[in-house]
Amino acid sequence: MAEPEDRGTPNANHVVVEISLSIVSPEALLKTCYWFSRDYVCEVKKQTESVATVLLSPRTVTQEFTPNSIRDAFLTSALDFALREKIEAKTSGIRDLLLAKAFSESGVLEDEPEGVFGDKIEESNPDSMFKILSNPQR
Amino acid sequence: MARTFYPHEHFAPRPSTFNLLPFKFTRLNEKELLVNEAGEFLFAPTGTIQLLTDQTIDTASELYRDLKAKHFLYDDTSSPLLDVLAAKIRTKFDHLNGGTKLHIFVVTLRCEHSCHYCQVSRQSASRGEFDMSQATADRAIKLMMDSPAREITLEFQGGEPLLAFDLIQYIIPRAKQQAREREKNLDIVVCTNLACITDDILLYFRDEGVKVSTSLDGPAFLHNKNRPRPGNNSYEKAIEGIERSRAILGFENVAALMTTTAASLDYAAEIVDEYVRRDFHSIFLRPISPYGFAIKTRHRTGYQMESFLKFYKAGLKRVLEVNRSSYRIAEAYTQILLTKILTPHSTRYVDMQSPAGEAWSVLVYNYDGDVYASDESRMLAEMGDRTFRLGNVHKDTRRTIFTSDAALRMFQASATQSLAGCSDCAFQSYCAADPVYHYATQGDIYGNRPTSGFCIRNMEVIKELFALLEQNDHETMRIFWSWITGKSLQNEAIECA
Repeated sequence: MAEPEDRGTPNANHVVVEISLSIVSPEALLKTCYWFSRDYVCEVKKQTESVATVLLSPRTVTQEFTPNSIRDAFLTSALDFALREKIEAKTSGIRDLLLAKAFSESGVLEDEPEGVFGDKIEESNPDSMFKILSNPQR
Repeated sequence: MARTFYPHEHFAPRPSTFNLLPFKFTRLNEKELLVNEAGEFLFAPTGTIQLLTDQTIDTASELYRDLKAKHFLYDDTSSPLLDVLAAKIRTKFDHLNGGTKLHIFVVTLRCEHSCHYCQVSRQSASRGEFDMSQATADRAIKLMMDSPAREITLEFQGGEPLLAFDLIQYIIPRAKQQAREREKNLDIVVCTNLACITDDILLYFRDEGVKVSTSLDGPAFLHNKNRPRPGNNSYEKAIEGIERSRAILGFENVAALMTTTAASLDYAAEIVDEYVRRDFHSIFLRPISPYGFAIKTRHRTGYQMESFLKFYKAGLKRVLEVNRSSYRIAEAYTQILLTKILTPHSTRYVDMQSPAGEAWSVLVYNYDGDVYASDESRMLAEMGDRTFRLGNVHKDTRRTIFTSDAALRMFQASATQSLAGCSDCAFQSYCAADPVYHYATQGDIYGNRPTSGFCIRNMEVIKELFALLEQNDHETMRIFWSWITGKSLQNEAIECA
């Protein structure tokens, strides 16, 4: 990730933020831009396969324009969205499992959920109180 | 600290591995706030998320145990807890169970008030063509009873519904009879400005078990300014009506709501004090709705959401001060959000449900038989926009209403789990999307969250509440729990886990 002090060319009208796409995915970058779009016009350009730049232009010019803090906030937000992607990647399976478990007992789910569900730790524990184990291979 | 009790696993060898459970997070007051799928939360030191995703957190630490106790991760000793988490998630979505509970009958558009902010397109008090017919009422009652819900609330609105009191008298016995036949519990509420209330009407309401909900915008100068009527005495009429209603119906069967106009913004404390002076124990600090007549008069009544938030915070501060002096009064919106944050339960407040409570939890039967997804979508229709018209009582069934294009479009656009801006939000479990609001204000049922007044309001209010929860002040928590449980201030002394 670029350091705020030595990348980009902030001036009175806009801020440039350089993003490493190996750390922040294009999807996470776009989500960051989405939230900044209220106050800034966000122009995203892909410089290379692994680097993108974002030009942030304030929608209204105020006296409190502080390029470094804007860049810091953008980088923090982008990294947070990258973290959220990591969490989702690690938990999407168990999330589906939990929701299936939650709604299966409410009568909302009429069909057995698609896919193979299970958890190695749970299945290795014969006394598990968590009843959903791997469904049979179909 | 999330635990007061250590299970036997606490004394076992530290786990060799752990897995994350799904959660979302945000940064608040230089801490990381983690919220799981069931809405349970934990404030953690900055850097905790990184330790979790890198799997480098110390499994012998207090933080690890707190994260495990609050269902942010599990290890080889967690088996029973996962069943509990699934049950909590199911409880959080309980509002989806049972079908439509709130049924609003707009029995007339006539009204003798001329409020600047009125959300409906009122008609003059003499124009009978804006009254619901008996045939339309019969069909609406049948549709209401076709809902699978066991608990049904029938709410009369207008205009001023008391101007169509004959029709109310026609509807109530028929609705009650059908409720008995279908073994449903029926609650009946009349939303009225009380200007036309008489003892005969109140005695009828008492005998039929009807509750009254009225408007009180604050002290006389403010109420009369917001709600003009001939004689400039709407405040005096409202107070007189509240007192007479309480005397005949009972104290607990009379409620009041306020609407915040631009004129209200500087008087948050005075408005709260007026509610205390009038012996109310609940106040709902509501922003003006961007519908109906409010659109036409927004230069007089409107304001930016930031101004409302300043008003809300000042009002909440005053409400807490009053509670600290041992007079229990709850701020209703705060109460709703705290219930979502601090308990596994959902609430019946339809504006804050995902998928939207509109259509799912509430239906509006207009005087002309048209069915709408919410009061707000009916107001849009009165402005000439029928986007959220679901059908008509004379032509449609419950099935065709719920499978109408308008209903399906709204369900799709209101599930926060899949909406841009909402799907990653840490406050998703507590919040909603409100497609009607976004359509009215942004021309798009999906809405743009960064510029949405709805989003700005809820983000800021929830952050304000989390800031108070993080302080974990004993007195504030005692007040909050009394609001959530409905018990007296003396009985509650639970601190935030």
